[in-house]
Formats: sequence, structure tokens, C-alpha cells
Amino acid sequence: MKVKKVLAVMMAGTMAMGIAVCSDAGLGTVKAADDASDKTLTIWAWDEAFNIVAANEAKEIYQKENPDAEVNVVTMAQDDIVAKLNTSLSSQSYDGLPDIVLIEDYKAQGYLTAYTDEFAELDDVAKPDDFAAYKTGVNQADGKMYGIPFDSGVAATFYRTDYIEEAGYTQEDMQDLTWEKYIEIGKAVKEKCGVDMCTLDPSDIGQIRMMMQSAGSWYTDAEGKVSIEDNQALKDAVTEYKNLVDAGITKQVADWDQFVGAFNNGEVASVVTGCWIAPSIQKAEDQSGKWAVAPFPKMEINDASINASSIGGAGWYVLKNVGHEELAKDFLAKTFAGNVDLMNQLVKDITLVSTLNTASEAPNYSEGSEFFGGQKIFDDFSNWTKEVPSVNYGMHTYAIEDIMTEAVQAIVGGADMDSVLGDYQIQAEAAVAQ
Amino acid sequence: MYKSHSSVQMRQNRRSWLFIIPSMALIIAFVFYPMVQAFFTSLQTGMANNLSFSGAANYERLLTDSTFKKALFNTVLYLVIQVPIMIILALVISSMLNNKKLKFRGFFRTAIFLPCVTSLVAYSIIFKSLFATDGFVNAILMNLHIISNPIAWITDPVFARVLIIIAITWRWTGYNMVFYLSGLQSIDDSIYEAASIDGANGFQKFKSITLPLLKPIILFTTINSTIGTLQLFDETVNITNGGPANATITISQYIYNLLFKYQPNFGYAAAVSYVIVVLIVILSFIQMKVGDDKE
Amino acid sequence: MSKKAKASNAVQYVILTILSVVSVFPFLWMIIAATNKSVDVTKGTLIPGTYFFENLKALLASDLQYLNAFKNSLVIAVVTTVLAMLVSSAAGYAFEVYKSKGKDRAFNIILLSMMVPFAALMVPLFRLFSKFGNIPGLKLVGLNSPGAVVIIAVATAFLIFFFRQNTKTFPRELIEAARIDGLGEFGIFTRIFMPTMKSTYAAAVVVTFMTSWNNYLWPLIALQSPQKRTLPLIISAMGSSYTPDYGMMMTAVVIATLPTALIFFLMQKQFVAGMTGSVKG
Repeated sequence: MKVKKVLAVMMAGTMAMGIAVCSDAGLGTVKAADDASDKTLTIWAWDEAFNIVAANEAKEIYQKENPDAEVNVVTMAQDDIVAKLNTSLSSQSYDGLPDIVLIEDYKAQGYLTAYTDEFAELDDVAKPDDFAAYKTGVNQADGKMYGIPFDSGVAATFYRTDYIEEAGYTQEDMQDLTWEKYIEIGKAVKEKCGVDMCTLDPSDIGQIRMMMQSAGSWYTDAEGKVSIEDNQALKDAVTEYKNLVDAGITKQVADWDQFVGAFNNGEVASVVTGCWIAPSIQKAEDQSGKWAVAPFPKMEINDASINASSIGGAGWYVLKNVGHEELAKDFLAKTFAGNVDLMNQLVKDITLVSTLNTASEAPNYSEGSEFFGGQKIFDDFSNWTKEVPSVNYGMHTYAIEDIMTEAVQAIVGGADMDSVLGDYQIQAEAAVAQ
Repeated sequence: MYKSHSSVQMRQNRRSWLFIIPSMALIIAFVFYPMVQAFFTSLQTGMANNLSFSGAANYERLLTDSTFKKALFNTVLYLVIQVPIMIILALVISSMLNNKKLKFRGFFRTAIFLPCVTSLVAYSIIFKSLFATDGFVNAILMNLHIISNPIAWITDPVFARVLIIIAITWRWTGYNMVFYLSGLQSIDDSIYEAASIDGANGFQKFKSITLPLLKPIILFTTINSTIGTLQLFDETVNITNGGPANATITISQYIYNLLFKYQPNFGYAAAVSYVIVVLIVILSFIQMKVGDDKE
Repeated sequence: MSKKAKASNAVQYVILTILSVVSVFPFLWMIIAATNKSVDVTKGTLIPGTYFFENLKALLASDLQYLNAFKNSLVIAVVTTVLAMLVSSAAGYAFEVYKSKGKDRAFNIILLSMMVPFAALMVPLFRLFSKFGNIPGLKLVGLNSPGAVVIIAVATAFLIFFFRQNTKTFPRELIEAARIDGLGEFGIFTRIFMPTMKSTYAAAVVVTFMTSWNNYLWPLIALQSPQKRTLPLIISAMGSSYTPDYGMMMTAVVIATLPTALIFFLMQKQFVAGMTGSVKG
């Protein structure tokens, strides 16, 4: 009998200790109940130089009118946000989830389809017409609006005027660029200045995505079906990408930090990506005045391709079961969904290219940028934003892209494009069929 | 007398289960029950929690899935190359350190074991910066004129795999060494002395005394390392993040991606995970057989 | 000593010295990095700087909640270790001392669990624990609770095996003597076995604490809210952030490595002795 008793005591002790641990560490978590008196909002975003700054400024503006509201802005790596949303929403455990979360456009449809009931409808907060046309498709499901578009992902060619001129070209040559011309200039830059034209990350084929969208195409077609094998725009994009690699004018990087380091240290002459890279470029203050911005290069070999595309860009979404749906909607309504003053300030602080149509009325929008040699970059970005071909990103961009990086590496390595893409069409179909 | 003794024993025997039941319950609940669950899940497809029965569809998909094949290839590659290197290295080091006349034994032992106190995430991050293209290792190699251009440790598919192997070997060699050292200490010195008198050199002594006596421990560490390598996750995620273009991805990371990176696909992820189970069972069986044969 | 033996000795010293340097260098590098500014770290400086306290301040001030994560890690590792010592050692002890056919069978089943990789358990465990969260009595161990991380590490085949092996070196006479003195079976375990097997427990503590302290994958899945994160999760997040501050990151790594290093150095002797016990059987 004694054994049992002691064991019982031991088990009880164990339980007690467990309870102590859990209750101790449970402090400070958000309760999943809509409690009107609890005015605490949590916001998740990922870039401390960009969208975190925006969230903090929105918080300041909101708190001026609502001093009793508490807003926690949390920086979380984008991969972690994705994983946490997937784990929490699929298990319906809301403990620790944010009320407002920034979601990249490519991922939005996936969440909205898989977890429609978890997101709050925002039709009473804003109207799709308030935002740039190409952005609004990604935020909607069944004709209802679930996200407030945030930044434009409009693509641009950021380039070093000093290198380009040293290589014997003018800023004129950078306008209405094609990838063929871009490679030609890149070779001259490499020869004359000894620097690479741009960076490439073998695990991230954003360039191909941009090229495809410039021709109005995507990995998936309008119905959401995988379109790789017979996708001419994709084939052309891969061809251009291979030409770029073969030209030997690119610097390989492995992550974001090296990518930013390359242009901040003057190791590359241009950066072709979304306009959200501007604040990172401007971090190198010693390069002020040496940069300019041109439109995205189009693909000469593809007739549909134009000098405008997009990459990244994101929107704010409200998780309605976390417990502060009304407060979160109110927050968005008074900030990102229509506050021109906020946009005006963000233009200055983080060079935000807003997708809010009325933001173009903001006075800072028409200011020239000293860093970019006085160029009115926001005017340019806004104009290009209007031209970006609208495509259906579908639900599986990253699932397909992870597979496509392998295909692209194989093709760049010399494999036959048609047979590789044929294989990967089947791969991708299997990956998205669930 | 006999009867009462046996009844005491029987009572003892029954009661002694109380020592075991908590462990058994936990292991059944958190290993075997989930295993069975995983099997049923692997027969289903669907998004997130909306699963429906689909028979062997997930297993059929495995056959054509190139990322899975890549992950499987990488995992097996790490296993086949890294585990033998590490085991041999650990054996050599421990037999050197077992020499009682050696000075600074304590220092060497501590230094070589030191990597084991780092967390996998922490050392991965250290390695990532040491092996960056413009990082310390390339600088040293270039200063020594071993290479003329920096090696793209992280973006080149071959070197990225080499880097992963270097990293794991750094982290785990000392750990295995401790097991061998413990084993060696229980071998009587007089055996080695007798061998020396018979004119055996160091290698012969190693081959005919050390290896056979350490065999059970070598078997144990090999199985342990095999299991560890087949589950490799922290290093590839934090050093190369599976890149470039999935060139270093492991099965565990692929499962994680299927679960949490894309739209969760519980069924297919479970099917992939069963491949590791089968692999481990087969490999452990082979290793035990090999271990027995030499007996 | 013959010339040949001297030469081979010298070779041994050279090899061991090189290996020691290779093993220790990343530590030195990490410590030096922790005392430097981020820019200098990326430049690969090898000179200790004076920036450690600034890095520390930046680390504590950042919204990563480093101290909180340290506390989370510590609580999880300590509770896991204590519980694992009780639960797993009791099982390992009983399997050896009260040998029977049934127990040997049970032991083999437990050993089988060593072959099940965690990756295979990820899906069902995640689904299982997410259900726990909705059952009032099991909320303690539901997702996003430290209990979820503790409970699956308490009983491991490795530890049970380890304790069983070591129990083989435990003198049976002590058990008989204690029985004659009228001590109950559980008393024998706690009052005779535990104090006698100190070095075994020390080795087990080192291994269990380190495993728990360094655990990454399951906490990554199970702990969702930022307040619950453990050190490896924070450090991984720092590494993948957009603009990593290397000085601050290495400071975080140094501090995160201290407890395991400390435990190892304090228990090194017992650790090696305990390991020896496990391989004798």
C-alpha cells in the first residue's frame, strides 16, 4: 500500500508542478473572448524598416483619438507568421494570435479559401474601388472584401547612375528597358566598372514571377489551374532568366541580408524588384544622389509583356475569433483604410507607395526625392502601379514556386526546357491537388 | 515457506509495474498512438482539417514527387557520408585520448566535447556567418592560397551539402567520443600492454583490441546517429533553409513545409513521414544484423 | 621511449590540437562577435571589442522579449529534467530489478519507440495537442502551453534504456539489506538507489537538460504566441530577420549557451562516470 501512496504523492507533485509552470508562463496572454472593456490589439508584421514602422505610426494616430486602446506591434519573421497562422487556424486555438495581421498578397487567397470563417469581412471598413485595381482581387473571397491593401508591390529598376554612365550609357537608355538591353548594359558595366549588374538568389525566383506578371500570366491560370507546361510567358521568363545568368553579370546571394548588403556596399549596379526596397537602398546614405528609378524591363521576346509588373505587396487582415474584431476594424478604418495624413507621413518615413487611391492627394507624394537625384519617384510608382497587369495569384504560389526553383536551376544548368517544364507541370499539379 | 516467498515475489512483481506504468503510458500516448493515427491520416487527403479517405493516393504521389526524391536523396547522402566520417573520427580521437601518458587529456576532451553544449539553432547561425561567401572561412582559405575565389558555401548546391556535413560533424563528434571514451576506460590496460609486448603497433591494437571490445557501443552510437541524421531539421533550416532550390532540404524539413509553409496537407505529410519510419526500421535492422554477424 | 613512438606522439598532439582549435574556434568567434558592432562582425573581425554591453542593452530592449524567453526555456528545461529523472529512472530501475518476461516484452516495445522519428509524429501530435487545448482538464498540456513541450520529453526510450543499463551496476545486496531493514520497495528506490547512483543521474541530467534547452522543432510547432517562445525560437527568428544585428545576435547566442556550458562543466566528472556505467552492461 505504501508504494501506491508514495506514487500517488509523486504524481500529485508532478501535476502541481505542471500547473505552477503553466499558470506562471500563462501570464500576459490574450483571452479569446470579445470583451468590450478589453481594448488591447495585437498586430503582426515582419519588416522593422518598413511595415513595422507603418504599424507603429498607425498606432500613434489611433491612440490620439482612443487613448484607452492599447496596441502591441509585434515583429515576427514572415515564415513564422505563415506557420503560426497555419497551426493556430487549423487547430482553432486562438491563444496568442494577433487581431490584425499583415499577409503577403500571394498567400492571401490560400488563407481566405482554407479558413474563410476565421477572417472578418471588411466591407463596412472600405470599398474595393478605394484601392488600386490590381490589388483588390487578392483581398476578396466570394465577392466580399477581407483585407485592406497596404503597400504597392509595383516593380521598378533601381540603378546607379554613376555606374551606368561609366559604362557608356545614359539615363535615357534605362527608360522603356527590355531585358535584352538590360543584359547588354550589364555586360558593359561588368567590363568597365567591375561590378555585377544585379543579385540573384537561386532559392528565390522573384525575377521570373515579375517577368511573368508583366505579360499578364502566372503559375496558375484564371481558374486557378496549374499552368507551367504550356505557359509561353513563363517559358520566355525562364529564357530571359537563363540569359541573365549565362551573361555572368550577376552576384549570387543566399538571403535578404546579403541581398541588401550587395547594393548597400556598391557591389551591384541595379536592383530590379518591388518599390518597397527603396528604404533599404536609402540606408546607404553615402550613395545619395547616385540612384535613379526606371520602369520594370519588359521581355522583348514576348509580345504581351509590358514595362510594368509587381512583386510582393501585402494587406492587413482581421482575425475575427481572437476576440477584438470590432476594435480591430475600427483601427483599420481610422488608419490604413483611408487616412491620407497617415499615408502622407509614411511616404516620408518609409517611402511607402500606398495603394489607397486618395493617397495620391497627399502633398509628400509629389515631392522629389533627393536620394534619387530629385526624381519624383512617387509619381512614377503611382503611374506604373496603374499599368500593372492584374493576375490571379491563386492559392499555391509558394508551393509551386518551391518546386519551380528546382526546375529553373535544372534549365539554367542546361536541361531541356520543354521536358523539364512538362515534368514539373505534373509535380505542381500533385502539390496543389489536395 | 516456498509458497509465501513466491507470493511476496508476485506481489512485488505486480507492484513494480507501478514504476513502469507512467513511462509506458506516456510513450504509448505520445509515440505509438500518434503513429497509428499518422497511418490513418496518410490514407486521407484534403486541405487542413477537411480530410477524406483516399486510399493509397498519397503514397502514389510519393513516387512522382521530385522534391520528395530530392529530400530523400539528401537525407540518405548525409547519412552515408556523415555518419561514417563522424564515427571513425570519434573513435580515433577517443583512442588517442585514452592514452594515459598523454598530457592535457582533460583539456582536449573538454575542447572536443564543447560543441555539444551549443544548441543546434545557435551553432547553425554561427556556421552560417562563418561560411558566408565573404565570411571568415573563405578569407582564411584565400589567405592560405588554398582557393583563389571565395567558395559559395551556401548558394552552390554541392558546397551547401558539404557545409551541412561539416556542421553536423563538428557538433556531434565529441558527443560520440564520450561514449567511446567511457567504453575504453573499462578495457583493462594490461591487454594493450600484452599486445605491445607481442609487437603490435598502434593500428593493430586499435583493430584487434579496441574495435571488437567497443563493438556494442559503436553499434549503439551508429543507430543513434542514423536516427538523428534521418531526422535532420534544425541545421538545414537555419544554415541554408533547404536551399539553394531545395538542394539541401531534408525529409523532416519537407514534412514541415507540407504542414506549415503551404496550405497544410496533413495526409501527404503523414505519408512522407512513414517513409522515414520504414527507413529507420530497415537500417536499424541491417545495423543490428551486421553487428551480430561479426560476433 | 623510441624515436618512432615519440614521432607518433607528436603527431597525436598536432592532430588533437588542430581538432581542439576547430572545436573551440566557433565559440571564441561567437564571444568576440558578441563584443563587437554588427558591421565589424560582418567584416570578420577577430579582435575583442568593447561593444558587449551595448549589444546586451539592445538585446534586452528589443521587442523579442529575450529575458522572457530565457525564463520560458529555463522553466521548461528544469521541469522536464526533474520529471524525466523521476519517471524514466523509475522505469529503468524497475525493468532491471524486477525482471520478468512481461517486463522484458514491455521494455522491447519501449525500445522500439526509439525508432520512431519525431517527423513522423509531427502531424498526429499536433492534431492531438490541439484537441487537448479544448478539453478543460488537459488545457495544461494543450498547444501553446509549456506543458505541451514538457510532457512529451518526460519519458524517453533513451533515458529508460540508459537507467536500465546503469542499474546493472547497482549492487543487489543493498536491495536485500534494505528489505530486511523493512524498507518498502519505493523507499528502496528513493532512499537507496537514487543516492547511490548520483553519477548516473548527473549524466542523465546533463543529457536531458541539454536536449530540452536546445529543443527546436516541437516548440516551434507547439508554442505559438510570442510570449511563450523559447530561446532557440528567438535566436532562429533573429537569424532570419530582415536586418540581423550580428553583434546582438551573438550576444543572445552566448547567453543562451551559458546554462548548458555551466551544467556540463559542473557535472563533467559525474557525466563521464555515468556514461561509463551505461556502456558496461
